[in-house]
Amino acid sequence: MICINKNKQGAEILLAYGAGTLDAEQSAAWEAHAAQCGECRAVMAAQKHLWDVLDHVEAPEISADFDARLYARIAREEAQPAWKSVWRTLLGLAPAGVSWKPVAAGAAAAAVLAVGLLVHVPKAQNPSSQIRPESMDAEQVEVTIEDLEMLMPPAASAGRM
Amino acid sequence: MHSQSRPQPSGPDGVKKNMEAVAALERDAQLMLRVREGDEGSFALLLNQHRRPVVHFLFRMVQNQAVSEELAQEVFLRVYRSRASYEPTAKFTTWLFRIATHVALNHIRDGKHERGQESLEEEVIEGVGRQIPDRRPTIEHAMLADARLEEVRKAIDALPAKQRAAVVMHKYHELGYDQISKALGISESALKSVLFRAYENLRTRLAHLA
Repeated sequence: MICINKNKQGAEILLAYGAGTLDAEQSAAWEAHAAQCGECRAVMAAQKHLWDVLDHVEAPEISADFDARLYARIAREEAQPAWKSVWRTLLGLAPAGVSWKPVAAGAAAAAVLAVGLLVHVPKAQNPSSQIRPESMDAEQVEVTIEDLEMLMPPAASAGRM
Repeated sequence: MHSQSRPQPSGPDGVKKNMEAVAALERDAQLMLRVREGDEGSFALLLNQHRRPVVHFLFRMVQNQAVSEELAQEVFLRVYRSRASYEPTAKFTTWLFRIATHVALNHIRDGKHERGQESLEEEVIEGVGRQIPDRRPTIEHAMLADARLEEVRKAIDALPAKQRAAVVMHKYHELGYDQISKALGISESALKSVLFRAYENLRTRLAHLA
């Protein structure tokens, strides 16, 4: 029995039926059940209707200058100063499979230290010079922390393929 | 042992055949590997192939054309940015939609999206082709169609963000359960529950449109 209210398989078949992805045999079995189960028949009809309604939610055409704007953003990013590339590289060295949050916190600390070294190595004789963390671009920190998660292979967090 | 038996996947011939099959199927992953090697033309090809689905996915998530394009650019920027470390451990579209989902959910979480009456009015004024096809060319029917469409959009927008993302990927992008679950970072079992609840919510909310 594949009644949607009685087991998970029924629910999956409902979704597939609405999407039109059931094969002929599954469709026949489902329709045979629905012929005897009023509840499932009603839900199936509602799901079909919903599917048709959702078909009408179209998306607008994409702006003609989309690509040009994207490439301009890429060019701007490529033209950023070297320390920002170092920042990204540091985040990119996080090992796969490791939760990004502690790594990001560590990477952020390491990056602040790295920037401090890059800026202060020539001024090693002046201990009073300090890199102020608040001089870092806060938005850039947020973006690069998010980038860390994106740099993780999908299989690392979503399970192995 | 029969010499005609099918090569075992673990044997060298079986592995080679599998790799050839994967290589043939995963054109996008190959292109991305070329981007990793510095081939800008391959990035353009990937952009051309995936621009529309990504923008449309984000549009259905945030219901605003300008924002969806801005977010889509962020997605492709992240793809480009991570080219040096790209590894084809998943289908390219799975990886791409994982990034897009992340960008969309972040945006929704941060409450930066603009929706509601003003976005609908802009779209109507601009004549963006999102209206339900009007079988009877009267103003009244056009308004009714717009009203129905607005109801549907509101219903989608009212879904919790992950349910919304699951429905959009399942309904409009025909991604498989395995791809959607990886994009959302949840198990397939959890995904099916999410999808079932999402569609149940939509059926309930839109039942009066029948």
